[in-house]
Amino acid sequence: MRRKLYLLLGLLLVASMVLAACGSKSSSSSGATSGNAKTVTVTIGFTQSKTGKYNEESTRQSDGLDLWIKQVNDKGGIKLGDGTVVKFKTVSYDDESSGDKVQQLYTRLITQDKADFLISPYSSGLTASAAIISEQYGKIMMATGAASDSIFSKGYERVYQLYTPASHYLTGAVDLLKSLDPNVKKVAFVYENSKFSTAVVKAAKEYAAQQGYNVVMFEGYDKGTTDFGAFINKIQDSGAEAVMGGGHFQDGSTLARQLYEKKLDIKYLALLVAPPDPSFGDLGDAALGVVGPSQWEASANYSPESAKAAGLTWFGPTSADFVKAYKAAYNEDPDYHSAGGYAAGLVLQKAIEDAGSIDAAKVKAALDKMDILTFFGHIKFNTTDAHGLQIGHSMIYIQWQKKDGKLVKEVVWPKEGATAAPLYPLKH
Amino acid sequence: MSEKLRQHASLWLSLAVVLIIGLWPIATGDALDRETAFTVLSAIALASSLNILLGYTGYVSFGHVVFFGFGGYVGFYTINALGWSLWLALLAGGLSAGLLAYLLGVGILRLRGAYFALATIGINEAVRAFINNFRPFGGPTGMTLNFSVYKAYGGAMHALELVFYIMVALTLLVTLISYWVRTSKFGLGLLAIREDEDAAEVMGVVTPVAKNWAFVLSAIVPGMVGALYFFKNGTIEPGLAFPLHTSIEMIVMIMLGGQGTVLGPIVGAGGYEMLRDYLLVSPLFKNLQLAISGVLLLLIVLFIPRGLVGWLRQRYAKVRRWLI
Repeated sequence: MRRKLYLLLGLLLVASMVLAACGSKSSSSSGATSGNAKTVTVTIGFTQSKTGKYNEESTRQSDGLDLWIKQVNDKGGIKLGDGTVVKFKTVSYDDESSGDKVQQLYTRLITQDKADFLISPYSSGLTASAAIISEQYGKIMMATGAASDSIFSKGYERVYQLYTPASHYLTGAVDLLKSLDPNVKKVAFVYENSKFSTAVVKAAKEYAAQQGYNVVMFEGYDKGTTDFGAFINKIQDSGAEAVMGGGHFQDGSTLARQLYEKKLDIKYLALLVAPPDPSFGDLGDAALGVVGPSQWEASANYSPESAKAAGLTWFGPTSADFVKAYKAAYNEDPDYHSAGGYAAGLVLQKAIEDAGSIDAAKVKAALDKMDILTFFGHIKFNTTDAHGLQIGHSMIYIQWQKKDGKLVKEVVWPKEGATAAPLYPLKH
Repeated sequence: MSEKLRQHASLWLSLAVVLIIGLWPIATGDALDRETAFTVLSAIALASSLNILLGYTGYVSFGHVVFFGFGGYVGFYTINALGWSLWLALLAGGLSAGLLAYLLGVGILRLRGAYFALATIGINEAVRAFINNFRPFGGPTGMTLNFSVYKAYGGAMHALELVFYIMVALTLLVTLISYWVRTSKFGLGLLAIREDEDAAEVMGVVTPVAKNWAFVLSAIVPGMVGALYFFKNGTIEPGLAFPLHTSIEMIVMIMLGGQGTVLGPIVGAGGYEMLRDYLLVSPLFKNLQLAISGVLLLLIVLFIPRGLVGWLRQRYAKVRRWLI
């Protein structure tokens, strides 16, 4: 019996190795000449969190990127000035949402899979690990899903950030509260003890204090917290009228649900990351009135016209076109992670077109000069003290509201982009 | 000469296995092989260290990664904030982890069995929570090295090569320590504690002292590996430094290879890491890799509970000399 099992185990191992050996021969970027036009296939490498805590956000992000690749390739690729046609393909691995393997996998992407350009992993922590490898090999890395400011003051020259950095994430939520109710003075910050959320709330706390708010509570919870009872009691004791904070999707939606279940008497709730996600609406009434900063929303009104008005170059599809294509491909609404993934490809495409080459140095020069408006917003990079930091893009604030008995996301801030009047105060 | 060779046969075998893994990327000159070998060697160093406590002394520590994380933090801090060299940082990482182990050992090594295991989990969480709120270490945001730090080591490319050579040296060191403990009188005392702590005490082993030194010895190298790993990683934050699952993986590696042997953790850690690497990037399995490695582990633990080396020792009496 035991011998048979060993045999089976051995056979399984052998079979798997043989199968893998057959499958792994198709990598490395290739150039093919057909007629006069030369076609070059550019490999884009990244790690995706297929398992672990970042799974949801990371999957949407790579879905967005895949859609961009499919669209570019279906259109016949990018045609450069010298007649070369550039097409794209991706290679990706699972980083398990943990840092253990990120450097190893990025080395693999660069040395073995011959990736020409890189996209960052999801989250600032993993991006910081990957940046060393990309910088060391002189590869350009588009950082999407990584909003931390700190990576960009560490001397990296080839990492480019798509997102509005963390220091500007919740400042708009403070402005919104001020415009809604000047009488509210007591604010509580409850946030996930992670690189990203802490950076956000620290900046927001400073901003709130400047605006005359009294920060009555400033407390972090551990990653993976599922019971916020103690925090909710503390919020109640502090007498806070507004609560801001959160972290990632899981904890943010749990916090919102438990605040609702405990019927906490607060007037305003703004959370990171979770509210803009379409599945946040599944919380039902607990989602009603919750405000969240979003890097992008489908209803955001960036258009070729607004580009002209702002004196910027417009590039890529409109939001409506992007949403339509995304829905057709994945049968769900895109959120900002999806848009960020798509935008990472789009900005890279613009840089390659501007450079007229896939040479890393020329593409880098084009990225440094970039100043465009896309469906994702304004894109411009810092090229001085914090190279690669995003300085063009700005946040949008959404709120879950009820329309004809159905929960919908409405843009409530900034005023010029608003699709509905804010719901205030929160009714728990 | 040949008598000496035979006498320490298992040491030579263990060192040879580590050396082969260490020399393989140097021979191929491939950066990816080097990265792979680095993770394999760091797994071996961590598992072999834990084996001193778990395999020889019989104390299961579920939070051993705390020494990796703590040493990593101290080492990183000395480089980032104090501007120390990597060498001093390694020393600081190892010593601080050893000191932490000594202080903890005084308290928790009085506990036995499940109580000790629970305490070690608690300590990992407690240290993580402490660092999360400890400003000089950056709190939850952690710390990020400036890319220019690597310039002192001839640029990032050379720095990573240097880091790899140090990793090879550390793994050889831990193998020597492990062999020395296994064959020394001190180690005999530990084995006695493993079999029956009360009887060992009666036989003259000063168990609190012996256990505490075993704990310290098992913590120093993980602290150095932590300092080295996070120097290479360029960034440190509590989530990356104290992953509980790494502690559990370390135990699994030891069980796979055979606890209480010198070669066992080396084979177990090497095999486990290579399998995981292979599953992670194989086009066929990369979406299923966790499920498959889980099933394989289950089969091995069910049918070869002594681990590979333990099983070989039991099955083939002649190889026992080679497989201490």
